[in-house]
Amino acid sequence: MIAWLLVMLGGLGAQQAAPAPKPRTHSVEIRGMAFEPAVDTVVVGDTIVWVNRDIVPHTATASGHTKWDTGQIRQGQTGRYVATQRGEARYVCSLHPTMHGRLVIR
Amino acid sequence: MSRPTHPLLVAVSLAIATTLQAQNAASPDLSDPEVAHVAVTANSIDIDLAKFAQTRTTNGAVKQFAATMITDHSAVNEQAAALAKKLGVTPTDNAVSQSLEIGAKQARQTLEPLHGKAFDRAYMDREVAYHQAVLDAIDKLLIPTTDNAELKQLLTAVRPAVATHLEHAKQVRSELGATPRTGQ
Repeated sequence: MIAWLLVMLGGLGAQQAAPAPKPRTHSVEIRGMAFEPAVDTVVVGDTIVWVNRDIVPHTATASGHTKWDTGQIRQGQTGRYVATQRGEARYVCSLHPTMHGRLVIR
Repeated sequence: MSRPTHPLLVAVSLAIATTLQAQNAASPDLSDPEVAHVAVTANSIDIDLAKFAQTRTTNGAVKQFAATMITDHSAVNEQAAALAKKLGVTPTDNAVSQSLEIGAKQARQTLEPLHGKAFDRAYMDREVAYHQAVLDAIDKLLIPTTDNAELKQLLTAVRPAVATHLEHAKQVRSELGATPRTGQ
């Protein structure tokens, strides 16, 4: 009986879905007026952290349909965004519109 | 692309080119305190003109460009002041700084009577020419002539920002369209 229960319980456990992958944190450096990497592939729930290594402030600001904005990131400081929606998320620095970056969210 | 013909472009380019030539002929070297003074002056000039532009323009892209100039050049000047203090250097006035000041005064006089699109075009023309001239000065005069490693490092770190400002200025300027020709 006990053995049968254990088998049943084991079977139930096996039927449960595999746990979702743990959200990861991705770092994007802002250096020399550019996002590095300029393109990053992430998963919904992941956090992207921008680190500003330049003297001048920057932002990472969505330029597509989904609106998000890190606000101004001063030298040595960080800004973050948690990916919420699958798709391609293009972004710019709102202070320097010639700076472009892109997230591929899966 | 055609050569710049706007009087502001020509004036700024000429002023800095002449000063660079004069410097090269008379004194090929600026002292580090003089380089620091040129850097601070170049930033302050652009901040002042951007503040004036913000009171005059109604164009969103021009306003945003001016705001970025104030933010960025202020950040650079904070760093320059902190470095000068750390190194115990007192920035020293010199011919290049004076030339920049004269150019700034002339630019302001040219922009003062202008409004609307005429102002926006002239201001952005000035910003394109100014950032090109400052970029040339960084490459040909300021970095080569600087002895102190930290000051040289600061100038090197600032260069990409000036280059980005130049691209930004060109982008905004191109969106404003060509300056209408007046009867000749």
